Amino acid sequence: MARYAMVTDLTRCVGCQACTAACNAEWDVPPGQARTRVLPTGAVGKFPHLRSAFYVAQCNHCDDAPCLSPCPSGATFRAENGIVKIDRNLCIGCGFCVQACPYEARYLNPATKKVDKCDFCSARLERGRQPACVTTCTGHAKYFGDLEDPGSDVYRLVYSGGAQRIESDDVKVGPNVYYAGRRGEPELVAQMFPPRQPQLPSSGQWWSKVVKPLALAMVGATFAGQAIAFFTQLRKGEGQFDE
Amino acid sequence: MSSAVQMHSTPTGMIKKHHVAIILLHWFNAITWLLELTTGAALIQSEHFRFAPLWFVTMITEVFGSRANLLRFHIAAGLTWITVFAVYGIFGWQTYFHQEVLEREVALDRDDFNWLRIRLLRILGRSNEPLPPQGIYNAGQKMFAVMVYIMFPIIMVTGLIMAFHWGSMTVVGWAVVIHFATVAVVVSGLMVHVYMGAVFPEEKPAFFSMITGMVPEEFAYKHHHKWWKEVKMLEELHAAGQPEPRPAPAPSRLLTALRMKEYWPGYWAGLGLGLTLLATFLIVGQGLGASGGFTRYLAFILSLVAPGYASAHPYWSNYVQPGQPVLMDFLVFELIGVALGGLLSGWLAGRLKWTTDKGPRISPKTRWMLAFLGGAISGVGARMARGCTSGLALSGGSVLSAGAFVFMLAVFAAGFVGAFFLRRIWL
Ligand code: HEM
Repeated sequence: MARYAMVTDLTRCVGCQACTAACNAEWDVPPGQARTRVLPTGAVGKFPHLRSAFYVAQCNHCDDAPCLSPCPSGATFRAENGIVKIDRNLCIGCGFCVQACPYEARYLNPATKKVDKCDFCSARLERGRQPACVTTCTGHAKYFGDLEDPGSDVYRLVYSGGAQRIESDDVKVGPNVYYAGRRGEPELVAQMFPPRQPQLPSSGQWWSKVVKPLALAMVGATFAGQAIAFFTQLRKGEGQFDE
Repeated sequence: MSSAVQMHSTPTGMIKKHHVAIILLHWFNAITWLLELTTGAALIQSEHFRFAPLWFVTMITEVFGSRANLLRFHIAAGLTWITVFAVYGIFGWQTYFHQEVLEREVALDRDDFNWLRIRLLRILGRSNEPLPPQGIYNAGQKMFAVMVYIMFPIIMVTGLIMAFHWGSMTVVGWAVVIHFATVAVVVSGLMVHVYMGAVFPEEKPAFFSMITGMVPEEFAYKHHHKWWKEVKMLEELHAAGQPEPRPAPAPSRLLTALRMKEYWPGYWAGLGLGLTLLATFLIVGQGLGASGGFTRYLAFILSLVAPGYASAHPYWSNYVQPGQPVLMDFLVFELIGVALGGLLSGWLAGRLKWTTDKGPRISPKTRWMLAFLGGAISGVGARMARGCTSGLALSGGSVLSAGAFVFMLAVFAAGFVGAFFLRRIWL
């Protein structure tokens, strides 16, 4: 069993967006959407102590992925190798998962009307190739591999290279995309782009908090009423049936 | 009730309550609901929304092989359901909707409201007033019908929104919730409906009326007095040779077509077959076929008797793979539908009988042997051609496959030649 992870070395990232372009081409991402984006923090601080970095955002394939449970049909699932995937045969496009993602990594594909996101290029992995963003990265800033393989780059970077997760104080869901950087870039990114609280849209909240309990109560009550009527009838006996 | 008994002697005999088209629709609907509730409950998997126990979800998913199949089935059955209601709605608007639904099934009058009030008080033990006389449906049934006719369109539209992703994420998200809520309302009504229909002893004649179409006159007299009187009045007027106060509704075109004694004109049937083919392409994504279905049945038997042989065999292994249900194929169900549909149309047209169609010169035994032989030859031939007249020629031809046209020409050419030599069997 593999535990895939990605590490992006933000010191090496030059913000060229080649990863976004490669990903869009590889997966036919519709215009205006992206599975991986490069977001500049801009200049932060006071002259002359300015800092800046690029946040290379994508699906983090979190250990406690908050997008899994809101999916009504089970279209979003975790594959055995830990990668969070979408079964497009099951997706109905309700978008509950889109709002749940703290990293805003999901979008509705307007062509298929189904949700898409990064799946670590699973189709390429199956053919023994690296994800498109990794092979294309001009600054060689991206590493992809198995955290259970002590010989891998990601193992080294995560366990001894100081690569870290982008988390905030209240959102810690175990992302598996790590960020390295010699000049404090990961901290800067975490400060400028903190993950947001997972949300359930109001339709989903109504469903789980109001409609479902009400429905169960209603069906239960009519069922109980019928059961009582049935047993009263039984007790009264068959006397009046032919009346 | 007792005052009425003095006026008329207690009637005997049966009177007609339900048209066969309504009976068919009702049981089609009941079966569809059973299937849709089962698959629908198993489709809701999220821990926020799931209400069916996990073992149930797993069991139903396994029956269908995968969750994707489960969803496909749910959608296909739902679309069939919508289509059937649409056909009834369009062709039966005049008779069914106007006369049956609006006037008799959903319009509550003053007697109905009193009936509901007294019924409720009686259940609470607060009254023993006699119940007011009722029409063809009592007020409780009418309330159920009103609810059903309000909920069904909502269920249909929200289902279509989810199946075809009509609208933004917000729209689809709300469609899911509304679909669930409206189904829940219908289900709680169904608790009472099914209990009254199938269990409640007093309503037993009503249950049988949904099968035979007839109710005992005595039952109508006691439970649906206003309707009974109406029927009697019409009968008396009729007997006296007077015109009926309201002309009998003209049977709808659908019903006329369904009940036609003759075979349908070939062009109608051709059009119908074409539309059926179009619908199967639309709904299940493949055309019609026959031999492929029989192959599946054979493969299924083989997988029971000799699973090892079947999954290793170069031909049978196409159908028999470990972990894949052999019978999970559209054609398997289509063939069942073909048999049922044939039976149904034969029955509706009063054409059902045991007979052996044959030419005058041969005995039934010869005919059966030849039929079997011919079937076997064309079966093997169909597999060699990778399709039969329906699969290859009809479905293939409809998508302009060159092989289909070559095959069709070959079939007709061989048919012409073969018929010359075999003419004595038929003439
Ligand atoms: C096992 C399931 C069911 C049984 C045993 C059953 C039984 C019956 C019976 C006996 C009648 C005739 C009542 C009469 O003539 O007085 C009837 C009518 C009717 N049924 Fe059902 N039914 C079933 C399922 C359903 C379902 C699933 C629906 C719709 C969701 C439905 C909707 C209706 C409607 C609208 C009528 C006509 C008006 C009324 O009685 O309210 N039935 N049913």
